[in-house]
Parts: sequence; C-alpha cells; structure tokens
Amino acid sequence: MPEVFTYRNDSPSRITPEGTLAGLRVAVQPNLAVRGWPCDAGSRALSGYTALQDATVIARLVRAGAVLSGSSRMAELGFGLTGDTSARTVVDGHADVALITDTMGEVRLAAAGAGLFGLKPTYGLVSRHGLAGLVPSMESIGLAGADPGRIAETLAVMAGADPDDPSMPDDCTAGFSAVPPSGTGSLTAGVIEENLTRLDPEERLVFDVGVARLEAAGVAIQTVNLADYGLFQDVHHLIAAVEASSSAGKFDGVRYGHRSAVGKNWNDMYLNTRAESFGSLIKPFLFQGAYFQFERYAAFENACRLRGRLVRAVDDLLGQVDLIVLPTRRPASDPKRAATIQATYAAFALTLPASVTGHPALQVPNPGLAAAQDTGLQLIGRRLDDGRLLAIGQHLSFAAREGR
Amino acid sequence: MPHHDRSSCGQLRLADAGKEVTLAGWVDALRDHGDVLFIHLRDRSGIVQVVFTPESTPQAVCDKAAELKSEFCVQITGRVIERAEGTDNPGIATGHIEVVAADLDILGRCAALPFQISEKSMTAGAAVKREETVGEDLRLQYRYLDLRRPTMQEHLIRRHRIVKTIRDFLDEQGFVEVETPMLTRSTPEGARDYLVPSRHFPKNFYALPQSPQLFKQLLMVGGMERYFQIVRCFRDEDLRPNRQPEFTQLDLEASFIDEAYLYTLFEELTVRIFKIGGIDLPRPFPRMTWQDAMNSTGSDRPDLRFGMTFQDATDLFTQTRYGIFKQILERGGCIKGINVRGASERLSKNVLQNEYAKEIVPGFGAKGMTWMRVMDGGLESNIVQFFSEAERRGILERFDARPGDVILMIADPSWSLVCTALGQLRLHLAHRLDLIPQGVYYPLWVTDFPLFEAADEGVTSSHHPFTMPDRTDFDPGNTDQLLALRSRAYDLVMNGEELGGGSIRINDRGLQQRIFQALGLGEQEVAEKFGFFLKALEFGAPPHGGIALGIDRVVAMILGAASIREVIAFPKNRSAFCPLTQAPSTVASAQLEELGLLDLGGNRPLPGAHAKKDPIETLAWVSRIGIDDPERPAIADALAQAVACAERVDRQASPQEAPLFRVAAVSNRTREGREARIHPLSENGELFKNAPAEKGGFFKTAAVLD
Repeated sequence: MPEVFTYRNDSPSRITPEGTLAGLRVAVQPNLAVRGWPCDAGSRALSGYTALQDATVIARLVRAGAVLSGSSRMAELGFGLTGDTSARTVVDGHADVALITDTMGEVRLAAAGAGLFGLKPTYGLVSRHGLAGLVPSMESIGLAGADPGRIAETLAVMAGADPDDPSMPDDCTAGFSAVPPSGTGSLTAGVIEENLTRLDPEERLVFDVGVARLEAAGVAIQTVNLADYGLFQDVHHLIAAVEASSSAGKFDGVRYGHRSAVGKNWNDMYLNTRAESFGSLIKPFLFQGAYFQFERYAAFENACRLRGRLVRAVDDLLGQVDLIVLPTRRPASDPKRAATIQATYAAFALTLPASVTGHPALQVPNPGLAAAQDTGLQLIGRRLDDGRLLAIGQHLSFAAREGR
Repeated sequence: MPHHDRSSCGQLRLADAGKEVTLAGWVDALRDHGDVLFIHLRDRSGIVQVVFTPESTPQAVCDKAAELKSEFCVQITGRVIERAEGTDNPGIATGHIEVVAADLDILGRCAALPFQISEKSMTAGAAVKREETVGEDLRLQYRYLDLRRPTMQEHLIRRHRIVKTIRDFLDEQGFVEVETPMLTRSTPEGARDYLVPSRHFPKNFYALPQSPQLFKQLLMVGGMERYFQIVRCFRDEDLRPNRQPEFTQLDLEASFIDEAYLYTLFEELTVRIFKIGGIDLPRPFPRMTWQDAMNSTGSDRPDLRFGMTFQDATDLFTQTRYGIFKQILERGGCIKGINVRGASERLSKNVLQNEYAKEIVPGFGAKGMTWMRVMDGGLESNIVQFFSEAERRGILERFDARPGDVILMIADPSWSLVCTALGQLRLHLAHRLDLIPQGVYYPLWVTDFPLFEAADEGVTSSHHPFTMPDRTDFDPGNTDQLLALRSRAYDLVMNGEELGGGSIRINDRGLQQRIFQALGLGEQEVAEKFGFFLKALEFGAPPHGGIALGIDRVVAMILGAASIREVIAFPKNRSAFCPLTQAPSTVASAQLEELGLLDLGGNRPLPGAHAKKDPIETLAWVSRIGIDDPERPAIADALAQAVACAERVDRQASPQEAPLFRVAAVSNRTREGREARIHPLSENGELFKNAPAEKGGFFKTAAVLD
C-alpha cells in the first residue's frame, strides 16, 4: 500500500497554536498551495512545482491555529479519486479534517468510502485562490472528517470574501457561520423518485435505512419528482471536459512543470511536453474537451442551457422541501479503481447533481454499517444552507452515538 | 480650382509686398490671439505666415478661420505685406513678410492627427520639437501624413534630382534606358527569389528579378551597346535593419569597353550626384586590390576615413620563444596588428584585458588578442616578458610606436580570420574612440577579387558566374587553381559601404561552360537554368561589362539620412511588412485554388494542415497534446463517447433557454483598493523558481531550430 502522504509536514510549528482551530490537524491534497510544499496536483504536468505562497484557505487555517499535517495523494488534476488517499489521512489518525477538492463528488465519495462526513460547500463559498483546479464552474474545496461540528468550525474559517478570488459569487462574500441553525424539527426532505427507480434492491435497502434515520431525527420525508434527473451526467461531462481542456491549457512547460527534452520548435515542444504530461485518464478527457470546444461548441452551449434548466428544477424542489436526499455512492463501483472516463462517471453518478447545480451537499455515514456496504446519505440543501446540513449531520451523529 | 494663378508659399519675398496672392496648402501651425489668428500655411515650396485680423479680413472669413485646425487643406487669398518691426521670423525663408487674408476656402478638413507634422516654429528662436520618438511603424502606417513633413519632401525631391542627373548624364554618354521584365525566371544571384504563381501554368512560378543581369547581357548580344536602367530588384533575404525586400538600382552595361572606361564613366557620374548633396569628391578615385584591402583593413570594403591600418608582424616572431605565437607560426599562420595612436589613457589594462581580449575580440571569431601599451620605459603587457629584446624592438619599429600608443595584435593559423577579426576590431575602436571624421567621403575602387571562394564541396562564385576571370588557362577540376583565379570585378566603396559593383563579363560560350563546370553544375542543370543564355553566347556576343549602383543606399548617404527608409516614399518596415497597406496578407482560398496552389506540394502538407485528415490528429494539434500509437484506441473510444454525449445534449436542449455558464452571479469586480503593480514574486525573481528554463529574467521557450 502506498504511503498516504506525498509530503509530510515533519516540523509543524512548536508554538502552541491559539485560535478557534487551535491544534486542529488538517491534511490537504497536493493541488492546494502551501508555501514551500510540492504542489503537483497529482500530475506530471506540474512535476517539481513548489508552491511560492499559501492558498487563501491555507493562510486562514494556519492563522486560526490549525496544524497542517501533510499532503495526500490525489487523482491526476483532481479528476475522480483514482489513487487518492486523502480520506485515509483522517481514518489513519493523521488528521482531523482533510481538504478534498470536489469536482464531481470527490469529497463526498472519499468520505463515504471511509465512513466519514464529507461536505461539498455551496459553490463559491470557499476561495479558490491557490487551488490548481480543473473545472472552475463546479469545483469546491470540500472537507471530510468524523465530526460535522469540526467541519463547520473549519469551514467558518475558510469561507468568506477574498480579494484574491474575483470569481467568488456575490452571495458568498458574507462567509459562513459555525453556529448551527437551531433544531431539525419541522424540516422536510425530498426523496427523488427518478433516483429511487435507478437503485438496485440492496442499495435501496441501505438507503432506506438512512432515510429512516432522518425520519427518526424528526425530518419529514416526501417523495418528489425531478423529470430531468437523467441529464446530470451528460451536462456535467460536457461542461467539465470543456473547462478542463481550457484549464489544462496553461500546462505548456514554459513557466512551470514538466518540459519535454525534445522539440525542434515551439509547437513541437508543446506537443511533446503535453504528450508526456498527461496520464491515461485525463488525456482522453482533455481530448473530449477539445472536441466539444473546437468541433461542437453549440453542444457546450446546449449543455449550459440544460444546466440552467437543472438549477431551476432543483431550486423549485428546494422550494417545496428543505433538503433533497440521495445516496452518496453505489457500493459496487469503486471510484479509486476507475480507469476510464466512463467508469469514473459511473462511480460518481449520484454526486453529480450537486456539482452541476452548485448546491451544498453533505455525505453522512451510517456508523452502524461497514463503510464498504454503506451507500451513505447525501443531503443537498439550498444555496448557502451548508450550516443546516451540518447541523442535521451533527444531530444524526449524536443520535448514532447514543444508540438511538 | 484654377491653379494657374496660385503662388507658392515658400517663394514669397519682401519684393512681393503689396501683391494680391492666392495660396493653397495645409495649415502647418496656428496661433490664436483672440481677435487675430495667425497660421503657418505650408505647401511643397515652404511656409508662409497668414494673418486673419478683423481690421483687414471680412468678419465671415474670420469666423470661418476660427474653425481651422492643424493640417486642414485650405485655399487663401490675401495681400502680401511686410512684417512689423521686430516680428520677423528668421527660421523660415518667408520670415520678413506675411499674408493678410481676404478670403478662405476650406478644401479638406483633417481628423485628429496620429503625430505632429509641423517642423517649423511660428516664433523666431523657438524650435519646434519634432518628436523623433514617433514610432516608425506609426509613421509608415500614416506615410501620407509623414510625407507632408518638409524633411521627407526634401528627401524625395532630392532623390528625384539625383535620379534625373543619372539619366541625363548617361543619356549624354550615349546610353539608352531599356526596360527588362519583372516577371521572369529565377536568376543566379544567390538570394531567395520572390515568386509569383502563374494561373495559366498551374504550379509554375515567375520569379521577380534579383537583378536584370542576364537581360542586360542579352541586350549587349542584341547590339544595344550602351544600356542602363533605373530598376527595381527583389531579394528575399534575411531581415536586416537597413535592408528592403525591394530596392532600386542603377543597372548599366556597355559593349566594347574595359575597366578603365567604366572607372572614368562612373567616377564622373558619382561626382555629379554627390554634388547634389553639396559633397565634392576628389578624382580619380583611389584603387586597391582586394588582397591589399584585406591585408591592410581586413575588409573588402575598407573605411579609409581613418588610419589604423594593419602592419604584418609575422616575420618579427620567426624565432620566438612565446609558445602561442610559435605554435601558430608552425601551423603556417600569421600575426597582424594595429597601432592605436595615443590611446593608452583611454584603453587601460583592464579594458584591454577584460573587455577586448576576453569578450569583444573572441566575439569577432579570434581566439585571443595580444595587447601592449607603449610606455616611456618600453612595452607594458601581460605577455611582454615572453618576448625577446629583439622582438620588442622590432614591434616598436614596425608599428612606429611612441609612448602613449597601444599596439594590438591578433595571431591565428588562418590568414582570413586574422584579417577579418582585426578588421572588426579596427572599426570597433574607431567608433569607440571617435576616430571617424564626419563630413568626409572617401571613395575607393576595390579590384581583383578572387573569382571563387572555397565551399563545402568545391568552389562557389564570389560575385556571379558570368564574371570574366583574369586568366582563362585554368583547369575546372583543380580547386587550388580555381581559388587562385582573380576576377575582373570591381566594387565602388565609400566610407566602408559598398555602393555598387560590377565586372567585365564572359562573352565566350566555351569559357562560360568551363566556369559552370568549375562550379560543379551538371550539364542538365546548366541547360535547364542557363541554356537560353549559353545559346545567345553562340551568336557573336560582343565583349562587354557593366556595373550596378544601389540607389537607395547612395541617396541615403548623399542626404545623410539615418536609414534607406527615409529616402523611399513607401518602404517596408524592418520586418519587411508594410504597415500602411498591411502587406503581405493572406489571400482567399478561392484565389489559391484558381492558381492551383491549394494542394501545392502533393503529399507535403502545409504547416498545421497535416492534422486535418484524422479527427484525433486535428484535436491533438489544436490542443497541442501529442499522442502515442498505444494511446490511440482509448482516445478514439473517448471521442466516440463525446460524439454521442453531444448528440444527446443537442437533442434535449431548447434554444428558448438561456445558457447558464455559472450557477451564481459574480459582479465583474476588480480588486478594490489595489493599484496595478509588479507582483512581488516577479520582482524578487521567485516566479522563476519553478521554470524549467529561464534566461535573463524571462521564461525561456523552445529555441527555433527549424
């Protein structure tokens, strides 16, 4: 089994930290800049890259007293979870919270596979300054950990206006408060019928147990319909591929990263550098993105039209109910072993909706089940309702501990 | 507008005072004194001041004059008067008079100017700052405005005068100007041709002439006896600051003549045209063989406005103990040097050793340089201790050295390297020490060039293959013999620049054939390229010779212009691009198709076009991601999925819906409260820490090797 960390912080500050997160151990993925640490985003395209300054979230965490324990392994450029060890940093006791960039559901799936909570915050709530990202319109820096309360406290430090991130949505600049909204009573959760019909009987069983836990916590359950549920995957795939192709354009071997030794002119140098830079999963994805961009741009616009339709549909549902509930994962497909784009999308099928619409989503584990069997419970809330999701998670966590 | 009664602005004088005149031109400058408006009116002849004053000008005209701005094109009628005492402007030729306007007609209004055009001040003493910082490309883009400047007009008018002098003189001498084709076939000048595709012969090309060489020789065969032409020539050479893709030359050829005739003719012509610039050239022009030029200045176009010519010191060191010299002489090398008279104060030990010996001279290709400063007590140098007493004495005598002089020597096994490196050093020092006198013109004929130069395989022509050799009894297969041949060629050199050159030509078919043989050209190649020309030599070709003169360069030198672009109305810029017309430009593929050029080169694709066949190749090219064959199947699969995905999405979407590119609104915000600044990581150089290659504070991209 490979080492969990690609970089281990052997000399965390000896000064007893002070601040709201004093002593909290945080693991990061190597796509987040920590000054002086290697930051290759799991790709040869950035091999040898050493971060020159701290990402905004890193600076905020350290200022609040958090201790950075190290940098995990990650899938190339954060596409999927192939080879990812970020959740294990928590499971193995090296960290209390792991920061995992969520593009198609990585933080939720990594957490679900490890019996942890995993929050993909509202899109835009957390500054992406210092993140070597891939899909700017969807990715969020997520948080995985055993304690939703700690996740909330950590998010409160990370979130909020950052002058270095001009892409931050206007509604996110106020930040996030760790004080939980009171109670879980009088809440209604919607179960999507179009999702239920796609689950096989075993998955359905585990999911129903999770839904029952919610009900036991006083959340009313209601079946709702989302006719376009089947569109999420194509919309995510098409938009993500286009944005990935653009984002990866900067890896040209001139300013940083790997550079091919051969090439008799600029174009040759680029072709060879990028031929050698990208691995077997991301490279076909970049080709798909190039295809959409250069040959089917109308399809990209159409995907964005469908995205608008999906955002409106989910917003409508969240007008009828307070949250939407889905399973997080299908235990049969392991995202860590996905070797093709198809296999990757299949593994992430259940987490794509919140990535497409930007709503906050929390993976809640069932401590009564082995992680390998658990589908997880995915709570999707209204925009900026991250606190309510974490409060429900906290409630379920207490309830489980008390054996209720 | 009737122009028969128009007066020239610049020619009005005190004698014209009281006359009623009509003027037309451009508003060069304005000075508004409230009620009274002064303008400088400019036409090609010069500038005159015009006054609009309520006392003498009708109110309606004054009102119209208030609209005037710089470079409006106007017609003005008025009366010439003497200027009031103390308001003379000695800066302009018409400074003693002014014109009081009676009528004004605005002929053309002028938009906002991209740069200032006026070169003359309206008031005595105050110079108009002509911004030499106006970018040349901007000047070329608005060349029609740039040409309004008196300096540019003067250049073009003088150029006309020079060319006319040439025509008149040659006409007097019995020369006939004959035009030769612009659309012709590739000629053997050695530079790249500009090609013009033929529509009637698809995939065949005309070449624009690099010179009318063969045509003028054919005119001699044709019995024209004395021909000349002011002709445009085209060479697709590498870019140089003072080079144009097309240039004008005086091309001349005469039959039944020898070198002496051409020297006399051309010296007279040169003297006449330099006179136009007020430059008197002494006659006869000195002559120097190529060998002497190389031996004394290291250049085949010596600048003799200053001394510092070479002395050979090889013989002084035949017995030397100094190892470096000894080895070089053992390998058949030579030692040459120059005496930089009285320069020891400016050329310190440090400068000589660290700048010249270590940096500058190696840049000229020499391995090293020996320097000696002449002091009262003898020679000072880092190596002089290796020289014997006799050698030191020999140096002092050979270089006529006196205290304060600096003697520099270069030694190398290669004679030509010693000459060229020392020649460049001579020029470098002359510029550095300001030894080149201004306003001095030193014409010179350089003669007896080698006919051939050594090439990788065999020899190549130093001039062109039609040049007559000094002797004809050579063996075309004997390289040593060939390299010893001299040509009957001559270059006219002035101040280190080659102004023109020519030669006596071969008029014997057998000799011409042997020259081609010597050059290693196969019979078929000769027949294909020059068959028509060789044939012409079979029909009683007269002995003949000629010369060509670079007009742009000569005019620039006569007018003291900074570059040849200053004496050409519509030049290309340094990148051989025309900012005015934006040439060269792409053409419609329909045009290419008509010319049969779309699939030019058969299987050899145009750059980048190779990717078009296979969609994977196209995408690899546009996204600059190379792929290996083993990766192909996976990428083909991925593309098939992408095609299906795009089709599903297209089917589902409705054009009525607006595309949503981001799920939450973002104000287009700039970073508040922050000034534009250089990022600290850039300023402290840390930005380069992650760069695979950096050079001198820049990210280094791949070198262009192809």
